[in-house]
Amino acid sequence: MRDLDLVIEDGEFVCILGPSGCGKSSTLRMLAGLEPVTAGDILVDGTRINDVSARNRDMAMVFENYALYPHLDVYHNIAMPLVARRVRNDEIRDRVFRVCETLRLTEQINSRPRTLSGGQRQRVALGRALIRHPRIFLMDEPLGHLEAHLRAELRAEIRRLHEQRGTTTVYITHDQQEAGAVGDRIAVMNAGRLQQVGSLHDLLNWPVNRFVAQFIGEWPLNLLPVNLIAESGSMSIRVDDLAIPLTPMQTRRLTGAKLESPLELGVRPDDVEIVNVGSALSLRAHVAVVEPQGDTSVVVAETAVGRVNAVVPSTEAPITNSAVGLKFAIAQAHLFGPDGASLFTGLDNIK
Amino acid sequence: MKPSRSGSAAATAKGGELAGGFRLVPAAVLVRYLVAGTFVGFCLFPFYIILTTSLKAERDIFAWPPVWLFDPTFKNFYQALFVFGGQGAFAFIVNSVIITAFSTVLSVGLGSMAAYGLARFPFRGRKQLSFWILSTRFAPPIAFVVPVYLMALQLDLLDSRIALVLIYTSMNLSLVIWLLRGFFMEIPIEIEEAALVDGYTRLQIFRRVALPLVRPGIVTAAILSAVFSWNEFLFAVILTQTHAATLPVYLSGFSNAMGLAWGEYMAVGVIAVLPITLFTAMLQKHLVRGLTFGAIR
Repeated sequence: MRDLDLVIEDGEFVCILGPSGCGKSSTLRMLAGLEPVTAGDILVDGTRINDVSARNRDMAMVFENYALYPHLDVYHNIAMPLVARRVRNDEIRDRVFRVCETLRLTEQINSRPRTLSGGQRQRVALGRALIRHPRIFLMDEPLGHLEAHLRAELRAEIRRLHEQRGTTTVYITHDQQEAGAVGDRIAVMNAGRLQQVGSLHDLLNWPVNRFVAQFIGEWPLNLLPVNLIAESGSMSIRVDDLAIPLTPMQTRRLTGAKLESPLELGVRPDDVEIVNVGSALSLRAHVAVVEPQGDTSVVVAETAVGRVNAVVPSTEAPITNSAVGLKFAIAQAHLFGPDGASLFTGLDNIK
Repeated sequence: MKPSRSGSAAATAKGGELAGGFRLVPAAVLVRYLVAGTFVGFCLFPFYIILTTSLKAERDIFAWPPVWLFDPTFKNFYQALFVFGGQGAFAFIVNSVIITAFSTVLSVGLGSMAAYGLARFPFRGRKQLSFWILSTRFAPPIAFVVPVYLMALQLDLLDSRIALVLIYTSMNLSLVIWLLRGFFMEIPIEIEEAALVDGYTRLQIFRRVALPLVRPGIVTAAILSAVFSWNEFLFAVILTQTHAATLPVYLSGFSNAMGLAWGEYMAVGVIAVLPITLFTAMLQKHLVRGLTFGAIR
């Protein structure tokens, strides 16, 4: 974990997204006070809380591996935070039953964790956090082990509760759709470093570097070696022997790129169009594999500069072993320098 | 125990049932039970002799050949408890119970806290401290007899229950700490972290979360401590004479000074075994596995 500088507004719902081992959980544990911070400060409402113990931070946490109390039944598992705060018994009862209803746990209320299914355990873990009215919610993959339909349902429930209570929430997930659905902003992390913070839309369209571009998006990004060239007054990129002009907007956003230096072009497979061989601005390719996936098909094509995946409507899919042209929707493409940083600055910097 | 039991069950099932309802028992199973039975019989036979002798009248005790069927009498027990040697065994039973109870509660109580600290708090010299605690049991107890006697003498604790409670507690502590440290370390740390986030203090977590989860360990430690304190003879015989003497001390004096009052002697033997057996039987149902199942994924 290094140099994490993230400001979360009061009442904001921030998702931390990243591959496993990227420091998401460590970040959350530091916020919760379970892991020491070796350098830097954690401020809540302007107060430094580095040295405040976990029990006094007034944060509720959902642990990734549930961490239920195995010797207590569901009722008492969920009631534990209230018992610690000496809430009156009848109020505890009311609140536990209400949470159990929300989470569909009423029938299991007297069961011990060991008799519950994984999904039920996860909901108990969620219930133990939701029963509180903490300053901050910390959730570590709270829906990671639920079936798809329950996940979607509880995702909406978490978002609804958030809108109702407005409690600041930090939510870890590896599912970008989930992050997009529940979060106001998404923070992408990799290798212990924060990469970019923004809405899912921002991350998709204006990734700051190659990692974010590769990590976000429904399909894996195509990366092709290219050069930047100046051609008749405007900027173009050269892929193999093909020169594709950049849009005026991209030309304006282009920063810090040297002509003729080796760069990488990032194109999402759904921004690749299959056209006839020799069409204007198309790259010659050989269709190696066609994977039908219902309405769309994934076309794996070999080009002189490497393999390119394209996602096309199944009705327009070429046949295997045919020669085709690939046309890139250049306005949606990304250009990365040798260090992986995007050469297109965010729109904010242009205005 | 478990594998052999399920193994034999499987073997019987394989043997199958014959048409007439007879069960074929494979020879291997038979042999297994025979060996086990012989061993158990060998171990329990002396106890059988003690129990039957304690219930026999004097003429049956010395009868030869031994009588296997006799009219049981509780006269020996009455004699042993209240009459024999002027005051009977009763006072010594009370001593044993008090000393065992106090030393067990103390060693399990203090030991569990020490074990929790050693298992959970990463302080400097933790490993060395753990090893040092274990090493207190390396030397044979008899090596400590003289120093301990002198210490008791200086503190005016000779022939007092306190002296034995303190010694037994210190001797049991290392065992209790080592046993429970392992149990505490097996509790997934996240359960305690969850309790911390839920707003509990360290002490509350220890009492409400950690302790209930190591119940089998507590029970094992209590049984081992109690059995040790109940049966300990060396320090008891050296530090106590009359006032604070425990049952083993009484028993040893019995056979020497009173000649061979076999009936009463055996009755005291039965009485000496009974409380600790009951104690163990009572606690045994808590020796269950898997208390932390379901806590984490």
